[in-house]
Amino acid sequence: MAQVALKGVNKSFGNVHVIRDVDLQIDDGEFAVFVGPSGCGKSTLLRLIAGLETISSGEISIADRAVMDLPPSKRGIAMVFQSYALYPHMTVFHNMAFSLDLQGFSKAEIHERVEAAAKILQMEHLLDRKPAALSGGQRQRVAIGRAIVRNPDVFLFDEPLSNLDAALRHDTRVEIAKLHNQLGATTIYVTHDQVEAMTLADKIVVLKDGEVMQVGAPMELFNFPANEFVAGFLGSPKMNFFDGVLTGGANTDQGGFHGEGLTADGVRLVGKTKAIGDSVRLGIRPQHLTMDPSGQLKGRATLVENLGTETVIDLTSDNGTSFRFASPESLDVKTGQEVSFSFDPATAHIF
Amino acid sequence: MTRTFKHVVLALIVVIWVLPFVALVTTSLRSEVASKTSGFWTAFTPTELGHRFGTHDRGEIEPFVTMSGNIFERLNKDSDSFEVEGDVNSILFTGRVPDPENPEKTKLIRQLIYPGEPMDVRGGDFVFESNGDFTWTFAEATAPKPKNIDAFIEQNPVFGTDAYVEVLFENKNVPNALIASFIVTIPATIIPITIAAFAAYAFAWMRFPGRDWLFVLVVSLMVVPTQLAFLPVLQGFSGIASWATSLNAWMTDCEATKTCQVASKSFASLWVTHTAFGLPLAIYLLRNYIVGLPKELLESARIDGASHLQIFTKLIIPLSVPALASFSIFQFLWVWNDLIVALYIGPADSADLVFPIRLQKQLGTFKDQLHLLNASAVISIIVPVIVFLSMQRYFIRGLLAGSVKGG
Repeated sequence: MAQVALKGVNKSFGNVHVIRDVDLQIDDGEFAVFVGPSGCGKSTLLRLIAGLETISSGEISIADRAVMDLPPSKRGIAMVFQSYALYPHMTVFHNMAFSLDLQGFSKAEIHERVEAAAKILQMEHLLDRKPAALSGGQRQRVAIGRAIVRNPDVFLFDEPLSNLDAALRHDTRVEIAKLHNQLGATTIYVTHDQVEAMTLADKIVVLKDGEVMQVGAPMELFNFPANEFVAGFLGSPKMNFFDGVLTGGANTDQGGFHGEGLTADGVRLVGKTKAIGDSVRLGIRPQHLTMDPSGQLKGRATLVENLGTETVIDLTSDNGTSFRFASPESLDVKTGQEVSFSFDPATAHIF
Repeated sequence: MTRTFKHVVLALIVVIWVLPFVALVTTSLRSEVASKTSGFWTAFTPTELGHRFGTHDRGEIEPFVTMSGNIFERLNKDSDSFEVEGDVNSILFTGRVPDPENPEKTKLIRQLIYPGEPMDVRGGDFVFESNGDFTWTFAEATAPKPKNIDAFIEQNPVFGTDAYVEVLFENKNVPNALIASFIVTIPATIIPITIAAFAAYAFAWMRFPGRDWLFVLVVSLMVVPTQLAFLPVLQGFSGIASWATSLNAWMTDCEATKTCQVASKSFASLWVTHTAFGLPLAIYLLRNYIVGLPKELLESARIDGASHLQIFTKLIIPLSVPALASFSIFQFLWVWNDLIVALYIGPADSADLVFPIRLQKQLGTFKDQLHLLNASAVISIIVPVIVFLSMQRYFIRGLLAGSVKGG
């Protein structure tokens, strides 16, 4: 059982406290994604698990075994780097065989395992090439192959797709998902791209400034964000926020909101410590607005983006708040036009 | 305009650098006479030079009326290189002719005679053509003594390798110097680069307390001038040598054969000295190269289970080939061309002198035999040139291609 558990993990570089009291449990076979803006410590957290950095305090265990004092190679992990990190002077075969060679496997077994991994990744024909003769996607595949041959308990991916172009990124993403289903190994995947997080993860870990903001299944985080940061980070285009005050429902999970010309009741209220009259923010996803001539939210369109599958309109309300509207339909709205919207309080959040 | 200017400056720089080398090579390929009497730049075009030839060999006394021969054949009969070829411009006639003012007497004249003009040699008519053919005609059969005649010849360029043959094969000095220089240079290149590569890896990628200060200290050693260190270094070596001599006397029966003495100046002391003085630069260069290798590569290797030594031998060394090659060239050139360290610290035995010392000594012995001096100089230049050209293929650009993004 290759679960990964972190208890009170802290990491400081000098005076900079980059990881703060992270507690985390990743179950066997789970695909966990660390997501967050750049500088949030997600890569550092991964490197702590890998053993490339030493933790300042706390406990990390992999498969019920404390690994803080073990070198990376003894932790039962394999890592795929953002920059591939292939050994440029070795062929693909030797890149993949490198770790097995160091572990003293027999030639026959090395061949067998490398070829098996190459077959999984459909790159048997690349084995004799050197990394310089490969395309970006192929290099990424070799990097993944190098991880597979080690047959690790836990796969670690550090932003593996960010050097690929958009089309390839999608294909590789699908491939990684397939691979995970096929191998069933515990996987930790770091990305700053919330689309990757949403599509790949069994469990998303949202990080900000070295702290865990929320942990949960993708749709749970999307529908019930624990705070404004998570709400704003997941979902595209970003959630709209309006300033106002709490008008009802203190200490419950349903609240009332008034502000910026908007009034709503029975809105999901996040946090039970708020009192009536406290200033709060109302969050509504752009997709959850509906065009309605009698709606209470009015705005003037400043930019209309027709993406084909979706129309995104940037608007400014009367009191100067910018917000967005997204619709799967193609809309005939011109820049400068005034549009009104209504929304379902059940899909909104008060933070 | 500026482009032309740049080209001119560039051409000028190339000429300034190449000219001395051309001079050396040219002079070394010329004959002794030619290199003594004219500058190397005249070697490529026909030049008028004076030659003395004998009309025939002494003892060849068959009487004749007309003898014909060829000046060039006469000139070249004893030499198998630097053969004189070209056109005979004139002959300097020195002899007595009837004096027009004093009909009774003759007077001594020195006069240039041109092709086709007859002149009086030992009473016969001597006529030559510019291609060197001459006829010597007497009124009746005569057997004259040979006559040495000075001819001015517009001589074609001629080159030969006699000087090289002479310095390389006719005595052992230059071959010995070549061997001694190799004995010094090869270990004095390999030892520091080996040590420096290990040190550079440690300075670049291993964490230990005081690493950066230690590195600064090592690099700052580069400013210590070699000359300043001669005295302490030499004292050190003589200390070691006397200790080794005593040990020798104690351990072996060398006293019987009087072979106990261990020299303080030896090849080994040169290796140690060159290693010591080469290391700071080597460590500095290699460390700066190795620290620039992608961090992920080393991390990946760590995850793959490689130890520091395995990372060093399997990743760092293959990927550092360009830096290792360029430093080897530096160190090879510096040691090969070194005179002063070898002079003070190297073996003093004549057979063990390194090339620069041999060259310096030749300055005395060959004084005015410029062609020999230059031939030795060219031999000493050619070795580093060969080393450079053979190392050049290791300056591979894009060695890291394919390893990391954009790499």
